[in-house]
Formats: sequence, C-alpha cells, structure tokens
Amino acid sequence: MTQFRLQGHKVLAVTVEGETFRAVTGAMVAYDGTVSFKHAGSGGGEGLRGAIKRRVTGESLALMECSGHGTVYLAREAADITVVPLAGDTLLVESSSVLAVGPGLRTDVQFTGLRGAASQQGLFTTSVTGNGEVAIVSDGPAVVLEVSPQYPLVVDPDAYVASLGRMTQSFVTDISWRNVVGEGSGEAFSLRFDGTGIVYIQPAER
Amino acid sequence: MPQFENVNSKVVKAQVRPGQQVASRRGAMLAYVGEVSFYPANASNAGGGMGGMGGGSGLMRMAGRAMAGEHTALMVGDGQGEVYYGYAGMCAEIIHLDGSQPLTAESSRLLAHDLSLNSSVVFLGRGGVRAMAGAAATGEGLFTTQLVGVGEVALLAHGDVFRLEVRPDRPIVVDPQAYVGHVGQVSLNVSLNVSWRNAVGRGSGEAIQLQATGQGTVLVQASEQKF
Repeated sequence: MTQFRLQGHKVLAVTVEGETFRAVTGAMVAYDGTVSFKHAGSGGGEGLRGAIKRRVTGESLALMECSGHGTVYLAREAADITVVPLAGDTLLVESSSVLAVGPGLRTDVQFTGLRGAASQQGLFTTSVTGNGEVAIVSDGPAVVLEVSPQYPLVVDPDAYVASLGRMTQSFVTDISWRNVVGEGSGEAFSLRFDGTGIVYIQPAER
Repeated sequence: MPQFENVNSKVVKAQVRPGQQVASRRGAMLAYVGEVSFYPANASNAGGGMGGMGGGSGLMRMAGRAMAGEHTALMVGDGQGEVYYGYAGMCAEIIHLDGSQPLTAESSRLLAHDLSLNSSVVFLGRGGVRAMAGAAATGEGLFTTQLVGVGEVALLAHGDVFRLEVRPDRPIVVDPQAYVGHVGQVSLNVSLNVSWRNAVGRGSGEAIQLQATGQGTVLVQASEQKF
C-alpha cells in the first residue's frame, strides 16, 4: 500500500511496498530502501495519445515512475505541499502544481475554457481521476475554500492552484476606461466558481 | 540555557558571553542587544583556538583552506549580549553537538557556530578518481568543513531541513542538490545512475545520487536549489 505522509509542510514521504507511483521528474530529495526511478514517457504514463495531447496543448507534465520497496522523500523548491485524497472524483490542477500521483490514478489534459487565456496558464489544465492520493504544491500554505450553490466563489487566476468537485468555471472581467489609462486596480480578471466543491488557492500570485 | 535558539525558522538568537564567543558568516548579524563587538576572523583562527594565527599550524590551515576553495569569510561576536543572525531569507537549522560526533557541511552553509568548536577542512575525494569525478559532477566540491566539539551550530538551507537516520543496516540515498550536511560517521559515495535514457533526454532527473552509509544523521533540505 502506497502511503503519502507529510513530513513538516514541505516534504512528502511516500512509502512504497512494491507498487509504482508517479512523481514530478527530479523531485526526489532522499530515499531509503531499494527504489528505482524511471522516466514515465512523454505522456507521463498516459500513453501515446496522452503524449500527443500534451505536446499539442502545451500542458507539459514531466513525470517519473518510482517503484520498489522503501520510503521516498519528495520536495520541490521549498514549496508547501497538500495531499488531496480522491474517491472516484476528478481534481483539476495546473501541471506546474503537481508533485506526486498515487497508484491507481489517471492523469489527462482537459480544456478549461477561457480563463487560461488571460491568466497566462494556457487554455488547458491537468485532470487527475480515480481512487487514491495526489500531492500538489503551492507557493505558501494552500488555502482550502468551499463552494456551495448559495456561495459562489471568485478567485484571482494567479492564485488559483486546483479545484475539486462539480463546479462550472466562468470568467469575470472588470475592465473599464481606467485599465486603458493604466489606473486599474490590478484585479481586472477573476475566476468564478459555481456549484459544489473545493478550490485550493495559494497566498501568492504568479 | 541553550546558546542558540530559533526566533523563527529563519532567524537564530545566540547568547554571547565573555569566554563564549560566536563565529558567524560575515555580515549575517541582523541585530544585537547588549555590549557586543564584532571583528573579522579568518577560518584559521576561528575555531582553531585563539592565537593560532601566527603559529605554523594556523598558517598551514589557512593555506589549506585557500587551496581547497573551502573558505567563507567569518566574523566573531564578542562581549555580553544576544545576537540575531540570519542570511538571505534562508532557513536556519540548529544542531547540537555533544562532542561524540563531528558535523560535516559546506562552509558556505554555516550561519553561525560556537567559537569553541574546532573547525577543519577535510578532503572528500578519498575514494580515488571515481569519487573525485563524482564530487565534481555534483558540485559539492572535493573539500568540506568539519566541526568537532561540544556546542551548537546553525546551518543554512533552502526550505525546511529534515533529518534522516543512517545505520549500517539502513543506508539512505540523497539528491546531491538537497544534501545539507551530516552528523556522525557517515561516508558519502556518488552513484551514477545513468543510462541511454539520459542521453536522449528521457532521464528521470535522478541520475546522480549520493549514497550515505555508516552511522549518523543526514540533513536534507526540502528543495533542490543549491546554495
């Protein structure tokens, strides 16, 4: 049974007993036991179709397969780590925020709509589906915000990290003549979530 | 009362008293309380005992340091008071040495240490040509600093530091970029895990690894950013 365990806020300890999990290339900082690391292919284990999709969409995700027996310690540029348990649902996350994907989870590329166009994150995002755990990184401790039908949520696209649940995303613009003359508030574009779910944001703007 | 204390994860407060001076990276003082004066010291007299400057051993050690490139400008805080140390927003990890085991780390990682600790430069490339090539490849350098004695040391790291215990029956492997230092009798060997995949740009990104064997503790930082 592969287990994700946080060691502090910035290190993820993963115990493997014969299974294979995937982690971002180069994220290993230490390990004990016998563990081997192998490049997971251009599609990050998504097959040929996945590889082509990632190439075309620019939502690149370089993963490596870690397998064996032991404990692997993962970290990424001293970023804070959050472990998200999935029970058959889908987590949407920016490929740059993925740290590790547990066994039994599938990754894919998904079209996100217009929001990416303005937030320089591209029109596509990574989806993680299945039963298991996924670890995501954020610049500063991640803030978990709940969305319910009565309480839609609006977030800054630059602070958005991931979302989980049945939600529709829409794009809110607040552009007036002020932006044209350079007197805008700096919050011209926002992301609005309607429905039921959870949104992870980071206390920093990219 | 401990001499060193974390104010937060990035700032260390040190007690300075007559006879209990603190050596630190030059310029790392943030603030102090009390009557404390600072004077520059080179690595040869800081830690090598006082008055070692003119002596043969001091000079030899100085020459050794210059040759090894293992040199970071130090200063000594002297007097009575409390000194706050920090550097470049990096995390500071305090290590207590009880005298039984030495601490090994790059000199650039040293934020502050007890002046009474004995510091020396050790040669890492004992494993022959292969080990030397490995050291060059990892950017660790062939020389490193060792601190021996009873006292405290504050080390710099990018991100939190976590400690991994090494036993003869439990060797561990560390990413050279995340390695900070180690306490105890630990020997490091570079293992190259290179295959044809690396040549075609399909490596796992973990081609060069440091194998730690022996008895002690390895300090690892939560980042792959070298100092």
